[in-house]
Amino acid sequence: MGKTNGFGSRGPRSNQREAERFAHQEENRQLDQALSANLAENVQALQRLYTRCSDVIFHEFCIGNRMEAVLVYIDGLAHIEEVDQHVLAPLQQDFPMDFTLADIRGKIAVSSIKPVDTIVKVLEEISGGNPVLLMEREPHGLAIGLPKWEKRAIDEPSAESVLRGPREGFIESLRTNTALLRRKIRTPHLKIVTMSMGKYTSTQIALAYLEGVAAPSLVEEMTSRLQRIEIDGILESVYIEELIEDNPFSPFPQLLSTERPDVASAYLLEGHVVVLIDGTPSVLIAPITFYSLLQSPEDYYERYVVGTAIRWLRYLFFLISLLGPSFYVAVITYHQEMIPNALLITMARSREQIPFPAIVEALLMESMFEALREAGARLPKQIGTAVSIVGALVIGQAAIAAGIVSAPMVMVVAITGVASFMAPRFTVGIAIRLLRFPVMVLAGFLGLLGLIMGGILILNHLFKLRSFGAPYMAPLAPMQWRSLNDVLWRAPRWLMTKRPHMTGAWNPRRQPHGQRPGPHKGESGD
Amino acid sequence: MEARRTWIVVIPIVSVLLLSGCWDRTEVNDLAILTAGGLDLTEDRKLELSVKQYLISPSSSEQSGSFSSDTGGGSGKSVLRSSRGVSMADAESHLQQVLSRKVFWGQDEVFVFGQRLAKEGLAEPMEFLTRHPIPRERANVFVSQSPAKEVLELDPPIERSVSQALRKMAENETGLNITMKELAEMMAGRSRSAVIPWVEIKPGDGKQAAFAHINGTAVLKNGKMIGRMNDAETRGIMWLRNEVKKATVTVSPGKGKGLVSLQLLRSRTELIPHIEGSKWSLTVRIETRDDIIENTSEFDLSLPDHMNELERELEDDIKRRIQMALRRAQKEMKSDIFNFADAFYRKYPREWNRNKGRWDDLYSNLEINVQAKVKVVRPGLTNKSIFKPEQR
Repeated sequence: MGKTNGFGSRGPRSNQREAERFAHQEENRQLDQALSANLAENVQALQRLYTRCSDVIFHEFCIGNRMEAVLVYIDGLAHIEEVDQHVLAPLQQDFPMDFTLADIRGKIAVSSIKPVDTIVKVLEEISGGNPVLLMEREPHGLAIGLPKWEKRAIDEPSAESVLRGPREGFIESLRTNTALLRRKIRTPHLKIVTMSMGKYTSTQIALAYLEGVAAPSLVEEMTSRLQRIEIDGILESVYIEELIEDNPFSPFPQLLSTERPDVASAYLLEGHVVVLIDGTPSVLIAPITFYSLLQSPEDYYERYVVGTAIRWLRYLFFLISLLGPSFYVAVITYHQEMIPNALLITMARSREQIPFPAIVEALLMESMFEALREAGARLPKQIGTAVSIVGALVIGQAAIAAGIVSAPMVMVVAITGVASFMAPRFTVGIAIRLLRFPVMVLAGFLGLLGLIMGGILILNHLFKLRSFGAPYMAPLAPMQWRSLNDVLWRAPRWLMTKRPHMTGAWNPRRQPHGQRPGPHKGESGD
Repeated sequence: MEARRTWIVVIPIVSVLLLSGCWDRTEVNDLAILTAGGLDLTEDRKLELSVKQYLISPSSSEQSGSFSSDTGGGSGKSVLRSSRGVSMADAESHLQQVLSRKVFWGQDEVFVFGQRLAKEGLAEPMEFLTRHPIPRERANVFVSQSPAKEVLELDPPIERSVSQALRKMAENETGLNITMKELAEMMAGRSRSAVIPWVEIKPGDGKQAAFAHINGTAVLKNGKMIGRMNDAETRGIMWLRNEVKKATVTVSPGKGKGLVSLQLLRSRTELIPHIEGSKWSLTVRIETRDDIIENTSEFDLSLPDHMNELERELEDDIKRRIQMALRRAQKEMKSDIFNFADAFYRKYPREWNRNKGRWDDLYSNLEINVQAKVKVVRPGLTNKSIFKPEQR
């Protein structure tokens, strides 16, 4: 919206922004206020902020039957049973005559107690689920670390399932997610820096990296890019992704999102940084290369021969899904002499009664396929199957029988559809499926020449693309021979002695050489 | 600023693409897919070009609405059209008048020249076929005894079309397998002589339809057909041209009545030219390795003596075959179809250049020495025939 009337309206807009900033500062000043020694004043200030918030509870009681106090918490976020048992019960007992703050703290049988001294900190603690205890004649509150809210159990991420390997996945709770990481990487070198973001949501975000492995410049870059974000709310990792990526116009993802702690840990060990966001199970990994989008955790959990073969199959089908229909269209409309005689005759026969040119047919069928996929993906499972049955009948059978599209075209579309699903990451699969259309149009206009042109344009873009400064097509361009270990094949574990150059150059040695196993390994003289 | 520059580049590109559209696109259902071409000389000395267009019938499967491909057999799927003109290009341009679809030579697999035309000379049509970008250089060429049109009229019951049948027969390597490119090379080469497989029609009787088959070789000199060699002589040509891939040689070794048959495993022919003074001569050295596939003679193949004798017999047989072809080509037709000229040119370029004017003369008087070396490598496990020999 801002872009359409962007010219000439700079003056009023900056005035508006100025006013906004002023209001914001005013509010901040209010919030930064220190707690006063007067309990009633503090409670009033809080109640003014929490007007018409039915879920915020101000529980008034007396400590040791003498000192007035108020416990503020949000119903549903705090662990009320525990609070009753370990906070309220001990505090309402009789106290000695002169008790201090330290005595009160001593009575509360909770491990995490934090003094808070400003309104804003109180708000933070309360909305984080920690009840805050405010007391008479005390300019400090006590935040009691007893949060509890409903969360999903840890289960296998459905988008990234594997046959062999861990079945746990990240969930929506940031703490659980950091714990999942910490449980895999137990060293104190694993740093998890949290910050909060979003004017209204105050979403917790954690930046995880392995100190001594990840390049400090990368961590610094990520931190500064994160700190630059100003946004009202963050509901999913993509909010952050779109605000920190290098090229916002590229169809290719420049950060990898995963729901698997093992994948995140593997990237941490290679020197990448991971951004975890509260409220979403997907975490962001940066920097990435193009090839990491075509890798699946399964590659590393299978025997390396199998992993290599599957990887190559994926590369092949990646090309097919990008160029398959375009190649078919180009050859059948411009280069008939390239097709073997028998095949051409078969194709010609099936195209004999088709009223459309091949390019129209291809665009029709490909968009039909996309529509079916989308319709099936968004519907509940029971209706989804109905859609796919109807789709298969309509595009597979009826369309051919009615002579609207030819059978080879249906085959081409089906093969490219399957091929695009072979990309282990949905983000790259959909990017390829979208790019297929312009390439198809080029092929329809210019034949193989157009196909090559499209290919060159896409390659050009890929070579120019960077993910957090790292070349997207590395290690093939620029060529880094050692790192090809993980691109041209999936090297066996004992050969992966170096981290990939792009991220691991800071600390390249992963493990010592010469660990190739064998029956005589470990005997004398070996 | 940068955005505007990008648009300045992008908008012309996109409009060029969209405005030009796909003007030169040709859908396969607008093409007349020609699988075979034939050329004849008519009575009024015009060229008659006949083409076999593959008839793409709307397959029945599409009406029945199933995925299954057509089940109709191979025959009756082509139509024949012909046109006349003063030259090949002229006839080709008239062809479009009798075809509803765009003439498409890109899938042409076979080209048949009628005997009359071949005797008159193939230079003119070959000029068109090699210069025009669309016809395939890898198409097979044939000379037919009857007019080419008659060959193309046939519809073989087994293969998809007559072109397919002829091409497969040529590829079986029982006779020569000559493509347009090879023909052009031979016709334009130093020897100016060419060989083309000869096609005859075996007339049908009540039970069987007529079919075309390769039977011998047409020999061309200076672009004109000057004679034909029969099947046996063709085999000799193939030995000399180092083109023998499959051969079964049957000999009847000296004593006894039985026969021994050998199958060729590998063969190599080498031409070694010599010039001594004014005397030009050439040694043909042939080395083969063979299998024994039948033995009804008295020979015990486990005995080296017998084996040696057998090998000598074989060598003689091969030599005989070659001499037969040589005699006809060298003495009768005076046509250097074995491309000895190139062999001389490669070894003695200076002498060749000095004498190339009188090559015809030199060739017909060339002393040719044939050496054959046969090695039987796999006599089989049954050394001597375990059955009663001499029994037919």
